Amino acid sequence: MARSFSSKFLKLIYAALILSIIVIPSYSNGFRAQDSVNHKTVTHEELVRGERLFHGLVYRENKSVNCTACHNIKASDTINWNPNALEISFKYFDKSEEDLGKVLLNPNGLKMAEVHKGFQFTPEEITLLKAYMDELSTMPIQKHKPVITNLLLFIIASLLLLFSTIDLIITKRIRNQWIHLLILSVTGVYITWVLVVEAIAIGHSPDYAPDQPVKFSHAIHAGQNKTECVYCHSYAPYSKTSGFPATNVCMNCHLIVRTGSRTGAFEIAKVIESYEQMKPIQWVRVHNLPDHVFFSHAQHVNAGGVACQECHGPVQEMGRISLNTEMTMGWCINCHRTRNVNFNNNKFYSQYTDMAEKIRKGETSNVTVEMLGGTECMKCHY
Amino acid sequence: MKKYWKSIDEFQGKNDNAAFSEEEQKNEILELFESDFLKTSSSRRDFLKVFGFSLSAAALAASCKRPVINAIPYAVHPPEITPGRPLYYASSYFDGHEYSAILVKTRDGRPIKIEGNALSSFNGEGTTARVQASVLSLYDDARLKYPTADNSRATWDEIDSQILSELEKINSGGGSIVLLTSTINSPSTIRLIGEFGSRYKNFKWVQYDAISYSAILEANAACFGKKVIPDYNFQNTDLVISVNADFLGTWLCPVHFIPKYVSRRKLDEGQSDMLRHIQFESRLSLTGSNADTRIKIKPSDEKSLLADLYNIIAKKTGAMDYGKVSGRYNLDEIASSLVASKGRSIVISGANNVDIQIIVNGINSLLGNYDNCIDLNSNLNIAAGIDSEAEALLNELTAGKVSALLMHNVNPVYDYAGSDRFPEALKNAGLTINMSGSLNETVGKAKFECPVHHYLESWNDAEIIPGNLSLAQPCINPLFETRSFQDSLLKWSGNQTSWETYLRSTWQNEYHAKSNIQTFQKFWDTSLGQGIFTYETTNKIPFQTNTDVLTGAMELSENTSTDGYEVIFAESISIGTGMNANNPWLMELPDPVSRHCWDNVASFSPADAGKLDLHNGDMIRLSEGLIVPAFIQPGQAEGTVCVALGYGHTNSGPVANNIGVNVYPFAGMRAGNRYYGVTSVPEKTMSSKLLALTQEYNTMEGRPIVRETVFSEYQKNPSSGNELHEEFESKHLTLYPEIIYDGFHWGMAIDLNSCIGCNTCVIACQAENNIPVVGREEVRRRRIMHWIKIDRYYSESPDDPKVFFQPLTCMHCDNAPCENVCPVSATNHSSEGLNQMAYNRCIGTKYCINNCPYKVRRFNWYRYTNNKVFDFHTASDLGRMVLNPDVTVRERGVVEKCTFCVQRIQDKKLQAKLENRIIEDFEIKTACMQACPAGAIVFGNMNDKNSKVSQLLAKQRNYHLLEELHTLPSVGYLTKVWKDDEKKS
Repeated sequence: MARSFSSKFLKLIYAALILSIIVIPSYSNGFRAQDSVNHKTVTHEELVRGERLFHGLVYRENKSVNCTACHNIKASDTINWNPNALEISFKYFDKSEEDLGKVLLNPNGLKMAEVHKGFQFTPEEITLLKAYMDELSTMPIQKHKPVITNLLLFIIASLLLLFSTIDLIITKRIRNQWIHLLILSVTGVYITWVLVVEAIAIGHSPDYAPDQPVKFSHAIHAGQNKTECVYCHSYAPYSKTSGFPATNVCMNCHLIVRTGSRTGAFEIAKVIESYEQMKPIQWVRVHNLPDHVFFSHAQHVNAGGVACQECHGPVQEMGRISLNTEMTMGWCINCHRTRNVNFNNNKFYSQYTDMAEKIRKGETSNVTVEMLGGTECMKCHY
Repeated sequence: MKKYWKSIDEFQGKNDNAAFSEEEQKNEILELFESDFLKTSSSRRDFLKVFGFSLSAAALAASCKRPVINAIPYAVHPPEITPGRPLYYASSYFDGHEYSAILVKTRDGRPIKIEGNALSSFNGEGTTARVQASVLSLYDDARLKYPTADNSRATWDEIDSQILSELEKINSGGGSIVLLTSTINSPSTIRLIGEFGSRYKNFKWVQYDAISYSAILEANAACFGKKVIPDYNFQNTDLVISVNADFLGTWLCPVHFIPKYVSRRKLDEGQSDMLRHIQFESRLSLTGSNADTRIKIKPSDEKSLLADLYNIIAKKTGAMDYGKVSGRYNLDEIASSLVASKGRSIVISGANNVDIQIIVNGINSLLGNYDNCIDLNSNLNIAAGIDSEAEALLNELTAGKVSALLMHNVNPVYDYAGSDRFPEALKNAGLTINMSGSLNETVGKAKFECPVHHYLESWNDAEIIPGNLSLAQPCINPLFETRSFQDSLLKWSGNQTSWETYLRSTWQNEYHAKSNIQTFQKFWDTSLGQGIFTYETTNKIPFQTNTDVLTGAMELSENTSTDGYEVIFAESISIGTGMNANNPWLMELPDPVSRHCWDNVASFSPADAGKLDLHNGDMIRLSEGLIVPAFIQPGQAEGTVCVALGYGHTNSGPVANNIGVNVYPFAGMRAGNRYYGVTSVPEKTMSSKLLALTQEYNTMEGRPIVRETVFSEYQKNPSSGNELHEEFESKHLTLYPEIIYDGFHWGMAIDLNSCIGCNTCVIACQAENNIPVVGREEVRRRRIMHWIKIDRYYSESPDDPKVFFQPLTCMHCDNAPCENVCPVSATNHSSEGLNQMAYNRCIGTKYCINNCPYKVRRFNWYRYTNNKVFDFHTASDLGRMVLNPDVTVRERGVVEKCTFCVQRIQDKKLQAKLENRIIEDFEIKTACMQACPAGAIVFGNMNDKNSKVSQLLAKQRNYHLLEELHTLPSVGYLTKVWKDDEKKS
């Protein structure tokens, strides 16, 4: 009885394990344009040669060029202003080898010309490179993540905990009970710790800085060029949302500015393409609030006079935008408790007659948001 | 003390829980679980299955990646749109039956709410429940999505070329082409139909109304030579006599009449008089519920009653009378009152009978009511259908004399009298084209289906009263492959201009000269921005009353005594004609008087129910094929039965289909007009049905919930009927320090004299606050979710009750019993006097519901939004487009209730801050207040002593619900004042 029970149990656990292993890495972030040009059929050997060329593994007389040095094949945690290999592959998927060769050997952009200076590839090599890149475009960009994740450890710990509990109570194969107790206490502590940490982190993503469809740098726009935040996020002073700029706003400058100091023409070309083809750019949101929170930019930016950086951090120094502050309820409330409202200069507040009376009598001088009910539920949740 | 009661069972002292059998209570909870795994005792295997699954689920959940949320701006931003802020378009609602000038609130390109257009002199900010609910019909998945030819999908080009060639063929052969539409009051469309018709040799345009006002049109043609429906100026009257005309609920245009009527019933600004309202009627209508005196009659007695009234008045005024007074009703006092208020009274009848309407015209002429109270010059273009024309068309169709039939916005297969007559006749027409906006019974019967836009997607105009125009403009791109009716007509008359251009040209040619704006573009922009345009009409000719027709009308040829019961088919306030029945909001909107929904019922008087041994829900056979559940309706005239029209659809979409019974086919022609009723000998069947009644929840045990007085008493002492208020106020003691609200203390005053119980607020609240529809079964389990409901109470005898309406929202008690019992403090009090509800804190103990003395809190028993089990439009992406993005969609397991529209409060407060000013009174309007056509609900800041709400709450008429409990509600009610008999006072 005990045996059949445990074997069935094991099956279940295996099933659960397999399920989780299948589900966890099943992400994808690539797509491919449909074939519109005839692609040469290449042999496996040729593909491998192309891959080696791309990775700079072919010995060449002048010098070997490792394309991946600038154009990542794997997702990187550091900012790389150059387009990654996948993006380039997409872009040239529908174009001919001659086109690729032209850009590769005689680039237009200043930056690119500087970097690609002295490149020498034969047409045959370019064909091989193109074949490899076409192949690349069918695969999603890969992540550099370690194989053993916290999750796997967590599952192993859970299983150990289970087995030892079952053995302790039912099967009793291991005689020494202190082994059980040791396993139980170690795994118990570990599981509890993971659960607590994960629970606290639900909805928190400190330093969340996802890849954006365009390598846009706030440091260049808001920092170096000193563009006002509301030039692009123009609804902030009078709407709930600050608004992502429509492409036509980008085109106010990029009608003329066609190359970037770091990204060359590649990234700006995406913006121009969006404008010309009337296809919106699908940005990835970094600052998210749950659906049951009703936050108004107008209230904070305009009525409250809060600077953008107080909530969003030093955006003007950020290359890729990242979540710099907690954006949790406690964080909001803390500010509401300490921050003063513009009581004397906004006629709206004259309706709080009791508070005005207190100020007149000198009983208080600072009116915080909280004192006018700014920490109540229905100020933000309704 | 008077006895107030809510239902017959309560009056008779029965336990109303008896209807809710124990068997049901036992099973209901598990009903929605599909698997039977809870029924068997669980084995270890099951335990492990569940355990293994939950382990892997937990593991997966713990590893959940943050979802990637995209933000997609426009490629090129339209300048008028500000993300996160609403954009309003002025427009007009007219579905062929009901009209309102409206504002459409759109958020990010989606219409989400309808408000009345305050600039309109016709309806102002007031709307009706059906207008409010029309926005949901835009996102109805059952809408027609593409044109079809012979029931298979086709393109517009294919259809146009086929139709054009067929029309040409018919025209060259001299065949007759008939356009059958609902009433059209758009001047541009009328012009277009004229142009379309002039292309064809043998063209006829017939207007057909499902609920006909043909007799009024014909009677006015006979009496005054003008085929119109006059405007009724209730605001100029002292006495209103209505015979079976439900002018506050369904007759003609209640949204126009309610404010006028209520302006003479209000006592909130020291008015020294109010109008007296006498209602003769068979069923207990909404209007009858509001009448000071209500006299029950049978429909067959209407004519003799009005003839008597005419003769008595004629005798009193010395005019010619027509024969003897039958004396069946004691009309002497009423006639004297009418004569006393000569020129300041209105007599109306709801009968669709030319003779009766001629007599009514005669009475009003005798009393000199024309011009001041009844305005034939400012006529209402609300109904134009003439019954005999539709009947003649049907005969021609049957005889095969119609070669082409074009239908627009009509559903004769469903609502024409005689069930098979129309569909059979339709087969005889050579070419049939149907232009319908929504799925209905007529769809699929025609050769070509040319679906039209929803009104929120289309251009239009309307001239509801001569000189009172409004425009309708698209507020969203067409969602489906539809085309406006006018565009189709333009195409088929070989005109290549678009309907929008055509409409503009009409306005340029017809109306620009009537304004004092220089350029046409500016005139157009102004009219479109305001939604309305008015000009002075010049054709004010005094009408001559043709008294000759009275002689014929007075003939009492019909035998008035009938065997059996007289069954009346009446329009339902929720569903109307049934055209928009596939609207879950309206389906779940309880009838204001009977308080049932998701069905139509046969209302019997308590006496008749006793005779026939009927109970609520017993299935009754009224006629062959007409089996309806019985409902005991206090106040129903003995010997009469009432069934609502508009139910019993078979092909109108999943919500409407198979709900109730269609009674239109049983209507017939009588004296040349459609008659909505039959005579029947009801038979009880063996089956019965549990009705979805929304007001059987609990009783109020004789407590002074509704306080009333009569006008004469009120004049002597404004606090009459409200003596308890002072008594309770004097006992107002507390050990705790009084809470002082600095700044704002929101409150609401509801004037029971203004509230007529029309239910508009209920739907306005539902649209504003994302309130889910729960369906018939859940309503029956008392789980309806409406945040505001209108309770209806009866007093005195069930045979002839007085009726009270009381809107009930959350009271936002300053001393709220719900707040003290919440274990997680999910509900608590704000510094602005709001009783707050934090959904994300709520763990669903429902302690607050149990402890709320007003029972205004609602529990989400299931997830109602985005759930296939509750597919009331919000289970699909299309239907969810109607949700208000400023209000949380509540999840399963949390409690919700009225928030005083806190999203609107927050929005206006912010607006004031941004503009560096204080908030004006009436600036913040809750959804219920804004939609109310009667102005019965006033919301505002009680801290501001000059605000309207403070002034109303300071009145001696003001009282609070269950104030003896010392809950200190922020909602106050003003006592109901009846206008009493002048002689007695």
